[in-house]
This record gives sequence, structure tokens and C-alpha cells, in this order.
Amino acid sequence: MSLVLIAALPFIGALFPGLMIRAGRNACAMMTGSFTLLALILLLIEAPAVLQGEVIRNQISWIPSLGLHANFFLDGLGLLFAGMILGIGLLVILYARFYLYKTDPMGQFYTYLMLFQGAMVGIVLSDNILLLLIFWELTSLSSFLLIGYWKHLPEGRQGARMALAVTGGGGLALIGGMLLLGGIVGSYDMTVILQSRDVIQASPWYLPALLLILLGCFTKSAQFPFHFWLPHAMAAPTPVSAYLHSATMVKAGLFLMARLWPVLAGTDAWFYIVGITGLITMVLGAVIALFKDDLKALLAFSTVSHLGLITMLLGFGTAEAAVVAVFHIINHATFKAALFMTAGIVDHEAHTRDIKRLGGLRHLMPITFTIATIAALSMAGIPLLNGFLSKEMMLEEAAHTDIWVGIFATLGALFSVAYSFRFIAHTFLGPKRDDYPGHPHDPGFGLWAAPAFLAVLVVIIGILPQTVVGALVAATSGAVIQAELPYYSLQLWHGVTPALFMSIIAVVGGVLVLMSFRRMEGVWNALPRPEAKTIFDWIVEGIAGASRRLTDALHDGAISRYLMIFAATAVITGVVSFMGGTHAAGTHQLLPAGPMAIIGLLLLTVASLGVVLFHRNRLLSLVIISVNGLVISLGFVYLSAPDLALTQLTVEVVTIILLLLALNFLPKETPRESTMGRKWRDGIVSVAAGIAVGGLAYALMARDLAFQSISQFHLDQSYPGGGGTNVVNVILVDFRGYDTFGEIIVLGIAALAIYALTQTLLHGRASRRLMEIGKGIKRDGDRHPLMLVVATRVMMPIAVMVGVYIFLRGHNEPGGGFVAGLVVSIALLMQYMASGFAWAQARQRADYHAIIASGVLIAAATGVGAWFADRPFLTSAFGYFQIPPMDKFELATAMAFDLGVFLAVVGSVMLALASLSRLARRAGETVNDTPMDIDPSKTTEEAR
Amino acid sequence: MTLIAEIIISAMLVISGVFGLVGSFGLVKLPDPMTRLHAPTKATTLGVGGVLIASMIYFTAFGGGFSFHELMITIFLFITAPIVAHFLAKAWLHRNATPADLPPTGRPKGWAGQESVVEGDKSPQRPQA
Repeated sequence: MSLVLIAALPFIGALFPGLMIRAGRNACAMMTGSFTLLALILLLIEAPAVLQGEVIRNQISWIPSLGLHANFFLDGLGLLFAGMILGIGLLVILYARFYLYKTDPMGQFYTYLMLFQGAMVGIVLSDNILLLLIFWELTSLSSFLLIGYWKHLPEGRQGARMALAVTGGGGLALIGGMLLLGGIVGSYDMTVILQSRDVIQASPWYLPALLLILLGCFTKSAQFPFHFWLPHAMAAPTPVSAYLHSATMVKAGLFLMARLWPVLAGTDAWFYIVGITGLITMVLGAVIALFKDDLKALLAFSTVSHLGLITMLLGFGTAEAAVVAVFHIINHATFKAALFMTAGIVDHEAHTRDIKRLGGLRHLMPITFTIATIAALSMAGIPLLNGFLSKEMMLEEAAHTDIWVGIFATLGALFSVAYSFRFIAHTFLGPKRDDYPGHPHDPGFGLWAAPAFLAVLVVIIGILPQTVVGALVAATSGAVIQAELPYYSLQLWHGVTPALFMSIIAVVGGVLVLMSFRRMEGVWNALPRPEAKTIFDWIVEGIAGASRRLTDALHDGAISRYLMIFAATAVITGVVSFMGGTHAAGTHQLLPAGPMAIIGLLLLTVASLGVVLFHRNRLLSLVIISVNGLVISLGFVYLSAPDLALTQLTVEVVTIILLLLALNFLPKETPRESTMGRKWRDGIVSVAAGIAVGGLAYALMARDLAFQSISQFHLDQSYPGGGGTNVVNVILVDFRGYDTFGEIIVLGIAALAIYALTQTLLHGRASRRLMEIGKGIKRDGDRHPLMLVVATRVMMPIAVMVGVYIFLRGHNEPGGGFVAGLVVSIALLMQYMASGFAWAQARQRADYHAIIASGVLIAAATGVGAWFADRPFLTSAFGYFQIPPMDKFELATAMAFDLGVFLAVVGSVMLALASLSRLARRAGETVNDTPMDIDPSKTTEEAR
Repeated sequence: MTLIAEIIISAMLVISGVFGLVGSFGLVKLPDPMTRLHAPTKATTLGVGGVLIASMIYFTAFGGGFSFHELMITIFLFITAPIVAHFLAKAWLHRNATPADLPPTGRPKGWAGQESVVEGDKSPQRPQA
């Protein structure tokens, strides 16, 4: 289980910084660090076995039907990356503790950082590519949060957006590629995929899959032409740059290329795409880096360049090159993280990162200078440091591949030397200046401890490579190559080889370039260069504009247009597919239409036409619509569906009452909005849609279904399975209880939305317009007449009784919680209508929000109850009981569920009513506290 | 016995039919809303009542015993029909009639629906309940 724990620990740790920050910044950092440390220790416990060549696996079946398993495995490659992520993560946590300013919210920072750390660890340990994709997207999201951590800086926000757009877009491509890969192999397990090289490379889908996966990798690892986001991501705080943009996230792309190297590499396509992209990135990044004045921008482009170098090595497709790539990943992580941290220290102390304003810091910051020099010399590839070793090996591989590759690799190395020396010379060397924005001095131990540790690693690996990292390189390379390791030697002196000469050329050339830097800078600045950010913004603007235009054209806010487009599209696609197939007339015999059916149909038709004709008179059209509703409920009775008829009838009553109340606040007439042409267009589309739906329904009813309908199952299982003879109710509360549960939640949300929407109408301009409505209206002095009041009072207990009856019998006879809720709502609505809202409201204590919530909670609790009986959510149980004087009766848990439905319905209807009455009050309606306006008994007393 | 029952049932059906027809005819023929109100509320109530009595007798004599459904329908009809008529009349008075058109009520208060309150003029500020 330890692998799962390693991946989970950072996520768990992400929960604590926000709490621990109240205990102080040290406590917060230590808490955060302890989780990383724990994960690192767990990893190190597994390390010896992995270094022996073992592969450790943990498997949890998550969503087996999708092929998604939470499978983790740890081999050499995973060990290297997980070690880097957790190890450097620990150093970054330490560094960030002292780097962040007092005003920065540290808890938030550590939470984001831990989220990111967890996602990265997840990527490198995943044994399932779907799981890997989830973690991959998580890194994009969490890095977005980290880059944009300084929310007040526009560069931070823009950089974060750009990084998210590029890496997120790549992530989408990667999803496609991985699914293709999984499709080719027939399994989403990494282990299986890694053993299917021949199948994959023989597949016609190999190239599309390769391109999509590489798109994901290249965007993540900032390879040309997607390298532009990385420098902009430097707006992040330096710990983030050191962590994400040198050691970990940008290496996720490399990791994936290395991970899939055994199955994808070795083809021409791989060699040309990956190798050449890497080469271009390496040279281009190195050249641009030289001319950057911002320390972090320089390092960013140097990172791009080094990532290109590793990509190129992987692209060569030979086992030797893969070993070098692995070795350079280690070396680059150590020296580049140290460099970023020292750049951060300089920025922190001197208050600028502009090289042009720095220089001579060696006198003021000797410790920082030492660390930076060691790391930068390693980056330049100077002997005795680890960068030298891997660069020598890289040049060796490049020289073996092709003469041109060798030349360009040397050129890249040359510029690498130049910018590394510039980093040292222009920042630390030279005379001391007196115009630094801050007062540079060496920071406290806390800030330089992490880079110093890395610098020590740089030196140790440089001198004793085989002893320190030999085993790790061997294990990792073995995992990448998945075959016998080639011969290689990690040592300082390889004898007089072509690489030695190339190295010497690079160092000497680099020094020469730096000496003529001023002149070259002039040339560089005079050159026309494409500005990546402008192009990116232009593209994003273009895409966003095009999307907006399309959306505006389809959805311009007029519902008639949505409906027109929707209906027309549905009809056209339906007609096209109908034309493409064959058609035979239905075989079912038509039933004769009785006089009742014909009258009903005529009523429906006339009423529908009436709505069309009188739709501008709102009250009239509402009345006609209610005719439709009543005919439909009669239709349900006619077709022996009493449950539906009851529901339809009650829903109809409630809706019409609420709509009538709402009409109070609307103009009496809908203004003329449609031109004649548009009326014709809408008419044609709607008639076509009506004919299409009617024809489809007719066609379906006139023949047997293509597959067995589920109805018979429901009929058969209703009593034995659900304990009820009313199949409709058993379906609602049992078979499809989960649907019902979702529906009552939706109903509650809808009621809350009505409440919220009317709440907004109570303020501002809408409120003033509402108050205008009420002015000058002659109101009836007897709005709550005696007759209605008395009648509703008489009806109330009867109606509630009917509601209870319908509720109780629901499981076996037509009825149920939904209908009962509506009936009781109507009974209550009547009281509110008869005596006014305020009077009725004063006589009830429960809060409607609470009624809705209790309904949902009761339904949920019923569902959860099934867990205690070891059954799935919402499994119902029932039994028969007898209390002596009464008949035997049934109790089912479905009844409690139905109670939840009941409460949710009552609460929702009443909340909608309450919302409307709030509007009415704002519109000037007076509030009454008496049950009726004219009370005859009182009037007689007054008369006396 | 059955013959008597059949005769009574037939008579009730005919009576209810006549009242129904008269009611519908009145609805079409009568000149203004207030007089038109008489036709459906009175005549159709009797008309439906006749059918209900016929139905009760029928089920008692030929069906499965005494039937209560009709009584329920009657109760609901008796509760709803007058209230609807009341509201229709009130609405008409409120919208169309002036106090001069109406006879005095002989009470301190005027006709229901005529005691109008024009909002914004004298609406008393009451505490929000």
C-alpha cells in the first residue's frame, strides 16, 4: 500500500497549511514539510529493492468498467522522478518559508504546492494511463494556481493563463493520444503497454497516437514551438520557478517520453520529430537565454534549452542516448534548482533581477556567489561538476548520430557556456556598484541552505558519479530502455574523444562570445524577432472572438431563436437519417378512436391554436394553456394512468396559480416583436417539428420495439422486489430512486433559484420599477372576502386528509409523496390566497428553506440507511406488521424516502409563493394581519 | 320497482338536460356580464345536480349499492360555484361600476370591492409580518 500512501500524502498534506498558518509560519512550513518528508522516507524504504531491479506494484480497482484502476508501480524511472519531486519539494518548502514576504498568504502557497506535488508524484507512479491523465491535468491546474499566486501582478495572471492554455491544450491532445494507445493495445495498464512495442508500432494508429502524445509532452516540457509559455511563467514566486520550471513539472513531458520510450522510440518518425524538435529547442533556447537581462528569464530559456537537450537525446532512440538523457535529468535538476534559488536570493536582497543593474555582488554576497558559481559552472559544463559529465556524453552521442547534429549540439553548448558565464560575470563579478535598488547582503541560513545543499550535490556527483548516482542511473535507464543496458561509464576522463574537442570549442567559443557581448547584443536587438506573447494573445483573441461570434449568432438571448435552431437541427438531422435508411409501415393494428378521444383531441388542438392566436394577451393564453393541461390529465385517465393523471392535475393547478401571481408583475400584453417573415419562419419550423415528433411517436407505437422494453421487468419485480403493487410508485421510490433523489434536489435548487432571482429584484433599478407598478392602481378594498376565507378553512382539513391518504396508499395504489406534496401545497396555497400572505405566514413556523433541506436530507438518510444493511445506496426494504385491532399493514423504507419527496415538494412550492409575495410587497401591496378585509361580526359591533 | 327507478332516473336526466341547455343558451344570449352570471351558476348547478341524483339512484337500484361519490361532487360543486360567481361579480363591480350605479347597502361599509384603496395615497404603513 505504500505507493498509494506516497501519492496520497502530499494531497493529505495540502489540507493542513491553511489551518497551520494560524500557528505561525514556521509551524505551517514544518507541517507541510513533514508530509513531504514522510513520503520521501516511504520512497527511500522502497528504494533498495527498486535499485536491485525489482518493480513494486500496488493495485486498487477503481472504475473497472472504464478500465480505470488506481494502479501504482515503482521502477527505476519512477524512483528517480519521485525522489526528485519529493526531495527538491522538501528543499523548496524550506526555501519558500524564508523567501515569501510577510504579506504573502503562506498557507495558500503551501496548499497549492502540495497539490502540485501530489499530482506530480501521481504521474510518475501511475501504472494506469487514465490515472496518469488525471494527475497530468491536475498538474496543469495546480501550476496555474502557483504561477498566478501573486494575483495582484498582471504578469502573474497572464503567465498563469498562458501556461494553462498551452499545457492544458497539450493535455487534451495527450488524452486523445493515450486513448488511442490504449485502444491499440487493448489495455490501459502501463505495464501491458510497455510490453506491446511491436503491436503499437505496426498499428496504423501509431503515428496519430505518437503525434498527440508528443504534443502533450512538448507543450508540458516547453519544446519549440511551445517554449514561449515557460519564460512568462517566471512571474511566479521563485520557489515555484525552482520547483515547477526547472526540476519537476516541465520534466513531466520528458518523463512521459522516457516512460513510453520502449514502445514509441526507434522509428523514423520518432527520431525526426523528437530529435529535431529537441535540437532546435536546445540551440534556440541557448541563444535567446544569452540575451535575456532578467535573471529568471535567462534561466527560463536555459531550462528550455536543457529540456531540448534531453528531448534530443531521447529522440536519438539509442539505448546509450537514453542513459545520457537520464543522467542529465538528474544533473539538470540539481544545478538548475540551485540557480533559480540563488536568482531568487539576489532578487530578494537586491530587489531587482535585471542583470544590467547588477554586478559586483561577489563582495556583498559571498555565499550566494559561491553557490551560484558552482551551479552555473556546472550548467556551462566545466569539469569536476556534474554538468560536465552529462554534456560530454551528450556531445559524444550527437557526434555519433550525424555531423550536423554534432555541429548544432556544439553550438548549443557554446551558447550555454556563454550565458552561464554571463550569469556569473554580469551579476557577481565586476566592480561593486552603489545604485542597487536594495541593500544586497547574504541572506540567513534558511534561504541559502537549500541551494547550498544542491550545490554540494553538484560537486559530489561531478567528482564521484559512479559512486553517488551510478545505481540510480542504472536502475532508471533499465526502466527506460526495458532491455539489457548498453555499455557506458560515468567517469570524469573518457580519454581523447571527439566530445572533448567539441567541449573545448564550446568553452572557448562561449568565452569569446561573452567578450563580444556588447556588440552582439546590438545586433540581436536590431534583429526583427517574433514576440511570442503578442502572437499568443492574437491567436487567443481570434479564437475567443470567433467563438463569441458563433455563440452570439446561435444564442442571441432570444428564446425563440434557440428553439428555432434546436428544432430545425433536430428535424433536419432526423430527415437526413430517415432518408438514408429503409422504411416499412408499422404492423400494429390501429385502435378505433372513441368519441371521448376525439373530443379531447379537438379540445387540445383548438386550445393550442388559441394560444398561438392570443399569445399576446398573457392572461388569456394562460387560461387556454390550462385547458391543455386539464385535457392531458383527462387523457391520462382515459389511458388508465391514474398516477400520471393525479400528478398532471395537481402540477397544473400549482403552476397556473403561481403563474397567475407572477403575471401581476408583468405587462398585460406581450409587445409585438416578430416581423411577418419571422413568423412564417417560426411557423414552418414548428409545424415541421410537430409533424416530425408526431410521426416518430406514431412510427414507434405502430411497431414492436427493436429490443425488449424494461416495462415487463418493472411489472414483474414491483411486488417481490419493491414491496408495492403500484408499479409507478415503486419505480419512482425504488427502481429509479436515485433519479427521484436527483430530481427532488433539482426541484429544491429551482425553488432556491426563484428565491435568489426575486431577491435580486428587490434592489436597485428593478426594485424602483416594481414600485412604479403599484402606483396609481385602484385596489379592491375587499381582497380577502369572507366567502373564500370560510370556504378554504373548511376545505383545509379535508385537503390535508386527502393528501395524507394519497401519501399513505401511494405504494400500492395510485398516489405517492409527490402528488401528496402537491395536494397539501394546494391546500396551503388556498389559505394564502384567501387571507393574504402575511396572515398565513404568521401562522406557520417552519422555514421553507429548511423544509426543502429536510426533505432532501430525509431522502438521503433513507438511502444511506441501506449501507448499514450492506446494500447499495437507496435499496429499499419492507415488511408486514400487525398491531392487533388493525389489519396487517406494510411498512417500507420507501415510505421515508417518499416523505422526503413530499417535504421537498411542499417546501419548493411554498418557497416559490413566498418569493412572489415578496415581490408583491415591494410593488406596493399592503400587508394584512386580519384573516379577511370585511369581517361582518366586527362591522355589526362597530355599527352599534 | 325498477320501472319506477327508471322513470325517476329518466326524469332527472331530462330535467338536468333542460337546465343545462337553458344555462348554456343564457350564457350566449344574455346581454351583459352581471345578468349572464345567472345562467351558468344557477342553471348548470341544477343541471349537474340532476345528473348526480340520477347517477345515485341508478347505482343504488342497479349498481353495487349506495354510492357516495355523487355526494362529494355535490359538496365541491356547492362550495366552488358560489365563490366563483362571487368573484366574477366582485371583479366586474371593481372594474366597471361606480358607487352611483349601485343601490345603498344600508351598512357603514359600501359594496364589497367598491371600497377601493389607491396605493400610494393612504396605504397605512404596517409592520412587515
